[in-house]
Amino acid sequence: MAADSFVQAHIDYGAVAPMLIVFGTAMVGILVEAFVPRASRFWVQLPLAIAGMVVSLVVLVTISRGHEVITAGGAVVIDAPALMLQGTVLVLSIIALLAMAEPLGTRSPDAFTQSGASVPGSPAEANAVRLGATSTEIFPLTMFAVGGMMLFPSASNLLVVFIALEVLSLPLYILTGLARRRRLLSQEASMKYFLLGAFSSAFFIFGAALIYGFAGSLDFDAINKAIGTNGGMDGLLAPGVLLVAVGLLFKAGAVPFHSWTPDVYQGAPTPVSGFMAACTKVAAFGALLRIFYVAFESLRWTWQPVLAIVALLTMVIGAVLSVVQTDIKRLLAYSSITHAGFVLVGLIALNTVGISGTLFYLAAYGFSIIAAFALVALVRSGGTEATHLSQWAGLGKTNPLLAGTFSFLLLAFAGIPLTSGFVAKFAIFSAAVGHGATWLAVVGMAMSAVTAFVYVKVIVLMYFSEPAEGTAVVTPSALTGISVAVGTVLTLLLGIIPAPLFEMTQHSTLFLR
Amino acid sequence: MAVAASSMHALAMNTDHPAADFSDTPWWLSLIKAVLLFVILLLNTLLVIWFERRVIGRMQQRPGPNRAGPFGLLQTLADGVKLALKEDVTPKNADKLMFIAAPIIAGAMAFVAFAIIPLSGSVWMFGHHTPLQLTDTPVAVLLVLAVAGVGVYGIVLAGWSSGSTYPLLGGLRSSAQVISYEIAMGLALVAVFLYAGSMSTSQIVLAQKGIWYCIPAFFSFIVYIITMVGETNRLPFDLAEGEGELTGGFHTEYSSLKFAMFFLGEYVNMFTVSALATTLFLGGWQAPPGIAAIGGGMFNGGWWGLLWFFIKLWLFMFFFVWLRGSLPRVRYDQFMRLGWKVLIPTTLVWVVAVAFIRAAQLGFLGDSKAWGGIPRATLIVIAVIAVIVLAIAWVWDTKQARKDNEVTAPPDEVNPFAGGHPVPPLPGQRLVEPVPAIAAAPAARSSVDNHSEEPRG
Amino acid sequence: MTHLGGAESTLFWFAAPLSVLGALTLLFARKAVHAAMGMAMTMILLGIFYITEQAEFLGIIQIFVYSGAVMMLFLFVVMLVGVDSSDSLVETIRGQRVAGLLFGLALLALTISGVARTTFPSFIGLDKANASGNVSGLANLIFGKYVWSFEVTSALLITAAVGAMLLAHRERLRPKLSQADWSRRRIREGVNVAGLPVPGVYARHNAVDTPALLPDGSISELSVSRVLKARGQVVNTQTLTAATEEFEESTGDSTQEEGGQQ
Repeated sequence: MAADSFVQAHIDYGAVAPMLIVFGTAMVGILVEAFVPRASRFWVQLPLAIAGMVVSLVVLVTISRGHEVITAGGAVVIDAPALMLQGTVLVLSIIALLAMAEPLGTRSPDAFTQSGASVPGSPAEANAVRLGATSTEIFPLTMFAVGGMMLFPSASNLLVVFIALEVLSLPLYILTGLARRRRLLSQEASMKYFLLGAFSSAFFIFGAALIYGFAGSLDFDAINKAIGTNGGMDGLLAPGVLLVAVGLLFKAGAVPFHSWTPDVYQGAPTPVSGFMAACTKVAAFGALLRIFYVAFESLRWTWQPVLAIVALLTMVIGAVLSVVQTDIKRLLAYSSITHAGFVLVGLIALNTVGISGTLFYLAAYGFSIIAAFALVALVRSGGTEATHLSQWAGLGKTNPLLAGTFSFLLLAFAGIPLTSGFVAKFAIFSAAVGHGATWLAVVGMAMSAVTAFVYVKVIVLMYFSEPAEGTAVVTPSALTGISVAVGTVLTLLLGIIPAPLFEMTQHSTLFLR
Repeated sequence: MAVAASSMHALAMNTDHPAADFSDTPWWLSLIKAVLLFVILLLNTLLVIWFERRVIGRMQQRPGPNRAGPFGLLQTLADGVKLALKEDVTPKNADKLMFIAAPIIAGAMAFVAFAIIPLSGSVWMFGHHTPLQLTDTPVAVLLVLAVAGVGVYGIVLAGWSSGSTYPLLGGLRSSAQVISYEIAMGLALVAVFLYAGSMSTSQIVLAQKGIWYCIPAFFSFIVYIITMVGETNRLPFDLAEGEGELTGGFHTEYSSLKFAMFFLGEYVNMFTVSALATTLFLGGWQAPPGIAAIGGGMFNGGWWGLLWFFIKLWLFMFFFVWLRGSLPRVRYDQFMRLGWKVLIPTTLVWVVAVAFIRAAQLGFLGDSKAWGGIPRATLIVIAVIAVIVLAIAWVWDTKQARKDNEVTAPPDEVNPFAGGHPVPPLPGQRLVEPVPAIAAAPAARSSVDNHSEEPRG
Repeated sequence: MTHLGGAESTLFWFAAPLSVLGALTLLFARKAVHAAMGMAMTMILLGIFYITEQAEFLGIIQIFVYSGAVMMLFLFVVMLVGVDSSDSLVETIRGQRVAGLLFGLALLALTISGVARTTFPSFIGLDKANASGNVSGLANLIFGKYVWSFEVTSALLITAAVGAMLLAHRERLRPKLSQADWSRRRIREGVNVAGLPVPGVYARHNAVDTPALLPDGSISELSVSRVLKARGQVVNTQTLTAATEEFEESTGDSTQEEGGQQ
C-alpha cells in the first residue's frame, strides 16, 4: 500500500540514542582508520570503542529508561525487556572487547591477523608483520555488530529484524576469518558461517514474506491482530512462522540448526568466540522472545510444543556430543549449544517467571563464557593456542591461578551452587515446572549432570595429570585481566546475591505492543 | 512549512508521470515509430562513420574517403557489404552458444535505449496526435542505464566465449570500465532528477523550458560528458581495444556479420548517450533560446523539434570525433583512478550540494526573500557551498605549493660532460667552463666503451 | 497507464517458462558461466515481470543493480578464477544430494500446500497503490515509515565495504618501486644489470613460454616466468631447434657451418 502523501516518521531520539551512539562510534572508528597514522591507531580505537559503549550505557540507564515507546514509524520498540537486553549486550560487549583487544605488548590486537588479505604463511604475511600492519578495523566492526545486537531484540517489525540480523552477522563473519593463528581453519570457519548464515537469512526472509502475505503488514502488532481475524489465510501463516523461527534459531545455535557452532567457535579468534557465545545469544534470544511473545502471541499453543521439542533436542545433543570432544574450544561450543537449550526451556514457559529467568540466564552465562574464552586464549604451545585437551594436562600445577579460575567457570557452567549457573538454572527449571513442563526440567537436570561430568573431566585433567610438554601460559595485560576478573567476580556474586539482577529482570517482563 | 510541504507534494503529483501523452497512439503507430527509429539509427550510423573518417582526415590534413559516391558518402555502405560477405570464423576453442549470443545482445541492447528519447513534442501522424517518442515511463532515464548494464553482457561474454587470452582480458577490461563509469554517470544524472523532479524524459525536456540544465547542473554536465566517453569505450578511453596491449580486445576473434554487430552497437551506443545528453542537459528537442521566442514558439516543437534535436545530437557526435582526433589513449590505471577517486567522490559531493540548493529553492529552508525576489535561503546555501569550495581549493593549493617547493631547483651551472655523454643545458642554466677537450676525452671515451662492451641478451 | 490485460498474460506465458528455464540452467549447467547467465536471465525476466505489474522503479532497479552489476561481478570472478566443470562434482558427504533434494521437495510441498489452502482477499489494486506515482509512492514509504530500516542499512553497507577491504585488499606498506628504482637496485646489486633475459625467438615460435638459449646451447632459466615453470607450461626448445635443423638438412641451407662453432 503506497501512502499517497509523505508522512514523516516520528523518531524519539531519547529512546534510540544508545543505538545511535554505538553506530556513530563505529563510523568514527572507520574515519580513524582512514586518517590516523597506523602506529597510533590501536590506542585511539580501543578507548574510542569503550567510551562509545560506556556513554551508550549511561544514556540507556539515565535517559532511555524514561522513553518507553514504539518509535521510528513502528520500527523500533523501547520497552523494559528491550532496555534490559540492550544493557546486557552493552555490558557484555565491553568486557568482551577488552579481551578481544589484548595486545600482548604489541600495537595490534594479538588474536587477530595483521594482514587478513595475504595468503596464510606467505612472505606477504611475514612482511606485513615485520612492517607493523594492523587490523584495528576490528573495533569499528565490533561496534557495528554491537549496534545490530542492540537493534535485534528491540525491533518491532520483521523487516527491521532482518536488517538487524544482517547488521550483527556480517561483522561476525568477517571477525571469524581474521584469527592470527591457524588461519586456514579460521578462514574455513568464516566461510561456513557465512554460507550457512546466508541460508538461514534466506529462510527468515522467505518466512517474513509469507507472513506479510498473511497479515498485510510486517509490524508485530499488526501480525498478532491478524492472526485472530484472518482465518482464510492460515496456510501462509504456519510455514511463515516456521521459516522465521529457523532463521532465529540458527543465530541462537539451537539443534538442528547448530552445526555451524563448533566449527565457527573453534576457528574464530578465541575472544571473538566468547563475544559470539555471549552477545549473539543475548540478541538472538531477545529477538525470539519478542517475536514469539508479541507477534505470534495468539499462536502460542501452536508454537510452544514445537519449540519444546527443539529445546529438548538442543539440550540432549549438545550435552551428549560435548562428552566426546577433545578440543577445549569445541567443548565450550557444544556446552553453549546445551545452554541454548536451557534458555529455550525458559522461553517457552509463557509467563513472566520464564521471561525473567531467560533474561537472567543470558546475562549470567554471558559473563562466564567471555571470561572462559579469554582464559583459553592465554594457553599457548609452540607459538599457537593450545586448544587440545591433552595440552591442558597439569595446568593446575604450572599455573594455579588460571586453572583455578577456569575450573570455577566450568563449575558455573555445570550449575554448582554458589555460582551464577546454579541460580540461573534454578530460575529456568522452576519456570518450566511452574507451567507444567516438568519433563523438560527433568531432562534439563539430567543433561546438566552429563555436562557436569565433562567439566569435571577437564578439571581432573588440569589438576591430576602430569604437566604437558611445551604448554605455557602467556601473561596478559590489564585488558584481559579486567575482562576475566569482571566475568569471574560477577559469576560468583550472582551466585551468592542474585537478588539485584533478579529484581531487574522481573521488572523487565512487560512487552510494549 | 505547511506551504512548503504542500508544494513538494504538488511537485510530486505533477511530474512523476511522463508528460508525453500516448493515449492517441494505436499499436500500429508505435510499430511504425519503432521501425522508423531503427531505420534512422542505421542511416545515422552509416553517415557518422563517413563523417568521422572525413573529419579526422581533415584534422590530420588528408582528404579521407572520397571515392565511393559523392564526397565518398557511400564508402561505409561498401565497407558494410564487404564485411557481410567475409568468411564467418568461429574459433575451435569458442563456446559456440555464447559466442553467437554475445554480438546479438550487444547489438540489440544498443537500440532499446533509444526508445525513450523524445525526438520532438507531439505531431500529427497518420491522423493521430502522437509524441515523436516511442515510449516513456516514470523511470525512463534509469531504463537507459539498466539497458546499458545488460549490454555489457555482450562484451563480457564475447571476451570469455572466444576462448583466447586477449579477448578475455579485453572483455573484462571493458566491462569493468563500463560498470565503474556507470556509477559516476548515474550520480551525475541525480542532479538533473533533482532539478526536474522526474525521471521521465518528456518531463525533463519540458522542465528545461526556462533554462537548459547544462547551466544549473554544469558539474553534472561535465561529468556526464566524461563518463559517456568512458561508457562507450571511445578514445581517449578505448582501453579495451588498446592494440598495443590487447590486439582488438573483446572482438579480436570475431569476423563478418558478428563483428558488424559489435561495430554497429558501438556507434548506436554513441548516439544513445549523445541523445541522452541532449535530452537531459541541452533542452532536448526545444529550440535554442532566441529562436524559441520567435512567433510565439512556432519553431519550438512539432516537426521543427526534430531539427533542433538532431543538430544538438550531431554536435555531440562531432565532439566524439574531435576527441578521437586530438587525444592519445590514457593508461588503464589512470583511467580507473580518474573514475573511482575523482569522478565518483566529487559527483557525490555535488549531488549533496544540489540537494541543498533545491531545498532552498523550493522553500524548505525558509521562505524569506532577499533583493529582487531571490530566496534568501538559496543565497545562503550557495554562499556556504562557495566558501567550502574555496577553502578546499586553498588547502589543496597550499599543499601543492609546498610539494612544489620541495622539488629542488636544478643547479645554475651544469657540466655537460659529467655523465660521459654531452648533455645540453636546461633553460636558464649556464655551462661550466669547458674542460680542455684533450683532458676530457679519455674519460668520456672510456665510459662510452664500457657501454658498448656490455654483453647483449 | 493502460491495463495490458491480454498482452500482460501473453507476456507472462512467454516469459515465465523462460525464467524457469534460466533457474534450471543455474542448477544443471556444467559450465559456471552458463549457470551465471541462466541466473542473469531469470533476474532480468523478474525485472520485466515487476514492470508489467506496474512496479516500474523496482523492475528497472532489479535489472540495473542485480543483473547489471551484481551478476556481472559474479561473472568476473568466475571468469578470472577459471572455475570449470571438473572442480565441484565430487560429493564429500555421502547422500547429501539426495537429502538436499528431499528437503527441497518437502519445503516446496509445505509452501504449495500452504498457498493452495489460502483464500486470498480482494486486491487493493495497482492504480490505488500507484496513486501518487510509482517513484513518489515508493519514496514516501522509504523516507517515511521505513526511514529507520533505510538508515540502518547504511551500517550494513559500510561493514561490507570494510570487510571486503580487510579480507581482500592488501595494504601497501612501503612505497611502490618505480622503473627508475628497479634500475638503481639492479645496478647497486650488480645482478642482471640489463634486466632479465628476454624469451627466445625461434623460426616458428616466439612467445613468453619459450626459453632463450645461452651461447653454449643450454636453456636460460631466467628467460621464462617462474609461474609458467611451476605450471609446467614451458615449451621444450629441443623440438623447436630440431625442427629447424631437420629443415636445414633437407634444404641444404645450413647456417651452422657458416657460423662456425656454436
